[in-house]
Amino acid sequence: MDHTPLSESWIKRFNVVQLVLAGILIMSPTAWMVLSSFKPSFEVTAYPPTLILSPTVENYSQLMKMTPFFSYAINSMIVTLGSAGLGLLFGIPAAFAVSWTRISWPAVLTLAARMAPGTLFLLPWYVMFREVGMIGSYTALVLSHAVITLPIVIWVLLPSFDNIPRSIFEAAQVDGCSITRILWKIAMPLVGSGIAVAAILSFVFSWNYFLFALVLSNGDSKTLIAAAFNFVGEGSTQWGALMAAATLIALPPLMLAAIVQRWLVSGLTLGAVKG
Amino acid sequence: MVDAANTVTPDRQRVELAALSAPAVLFTLAMIAFPLAYTVWLGFHAFSSTGRQSFTGLGNYSKLIADTEFWHGLWVTLALYLLSLVLQLVLGIWLAMLLFNAKRLPGIVRSLFISPFMMPPVVAGLMWLVILDPSLGAANYILQAAGLPPSDWLASPIWVIPTIALIDTWQWAPYVALIVLGGLQSLPASVYEAAQIDGASAFTTFRRITLPLLLPTIVTAVILRSVDLLRFFDIIYITTQGGPGNASNTLNIYGFRVGFEFFNIGYASALMLTLTVIVFGVVLAFNRLRGAVAW
Repeated sequence: MDHTPLSESWIKRFNVVQLVLAGILIMSPTAWMVLSSFKPSFEVTAYPPTLILSPTVENYSQLMKMTPFFSYAINSMIVTLGSAGLGLLFGIPAAFAVSWTRISWPAVLTLAARMAPGTLFLLPWYVMFREVGMIGSYTALVLSHAVITLPIVIWVLLPSFDNIPRSIFEAAQVDGCSITRILWKIAMPLVGSGIAVAAILSFVFSWNYFLFALVLSNGDSKTLIAAAFNFVGEGSTQWGALMAAATLIALPPLMLAAIVQRWLVSGLTLGAVKG
Repeated sequence: MVDAANTVTPDRQRVELAALSAPAVLFTLAMIAFPLAYTVWLGFHAFSSTGRQSFTGLGNYSKLIADTEFWHGLWVTLALYLLSLVLQLVLGIWLAMLLFNAKRLPGIVRSLFISPFMMPPVVAGLMWLVILDPSLGAANYILQAAGLPPSDWLASPIWVIPTIALIDTWQWAPYVALIVLGGLQSLPASVYEAAQIDGASAFTTFRRITLPLLLPTIVTAVILRSVDLLRFFDIIYITTQGGPGNASNTLNIYGFRVGFEFFNIGYASALMLTLTVIVFGVVLAFNRLRGAVAW
């Protein structure tokens, strides 16, 4: 009875209404954050809240004056790039070996980091890094964040390596190529886009990670995310600057996410779903 | 595969393959397995305020059983877990169906729909802290404009758990949607055609065909969300730090504070090991379930 063309067009309209509603629910908080960051200070805390009248960048310039925002950003860059690089360095050959041998325990082992609460590792790390005087060092931060990036790299690249026809490798072996050479000269160029996705996802999740830097960094090596926690106390009356900081911190991962959105499913479920 | 024509011997190959995965394995052992063993050891020790340690055997664990804050933390963890999980599944599946039916939606809009979970959770916490401010926030303004009473949100001991669940759902329901969307796109179109020929309504098709076929994908989403939700940290620490009072003091927050604010490393280790056992138990149970609903 409800299969007449008329009711079908109503169903379509109902879908559009729902889609718009979902879009508003999902996007308006972020939009509000960005909007607030461009409001003059008297308007940020105005009640009832106002939509923007005279946009200004005063919050951003105040943020730069109030905090060493730029050096926090450099810290974040060092830790993020370092841990993503380390993840790729260790993860690419490991993923290739797992794909070649079908012996999967090395890949499963790295997943342990994805499962256990970070505090579980943080307690012994803290004791150990303190023992050798490495609290606050970039090395400690890069190593701890590589625990996050390594499983991402391995599990993003596993299906890519699996997809390369075995015959290509066998032909190279007949020609006397070593496995390392096959990886370097043949396999890696073939999974270039997979490596790019792995690198970007590693960057995003390392950039976003809060807990390790909260304990293992100090005033000089604080990442943006860890510093943002302190902004809450300092900036409780300065919402504009707080929202400016939030907007700037969220910008790099959101921009990168837009680039890789097509490959997000397989990348983020660590192989659990074939997207 | 490896025939006699090969100039490379299988033995040499095996060594090479082992060498390729060695860095990742050694790194993981050094950063995870060894510290984990150390945590177990720490869990059997007590630390005095001066940092001196002494063996207490199961002392930390009997302390844990008698600790009302532990049981409260377990309750908060489970309440937050179940509430968030249900909200994220329902809204995630809803969003996935919407996006699946909106095939002409441009890629950039699609990525905006799923963008929240790529944002740092700390930023999401900051953002919602401002929106949910009890006296000046936009959320209460909207409530009042709609004729509803304002809420204290994160400052209310009663509402803090639902509010945190709401923030996490805003951030992660799109992630569930992304996973479910992947499952939807891999379903064979033929089953829909058969249902259409049989004259099934849209709702019946969803309930009787789509949902059962999606079950393995949904269980996968449940596993991935369970792992994160049971060790919930970032958003709580940035917004309430376990408060007001101890109303949002999850096990992970409690363990962190015991370890790094009160520096009772031994007891914190016992707490974190207990939480880890809970997480692995839940994951294993759901993994079994996934085997049972696979088709």
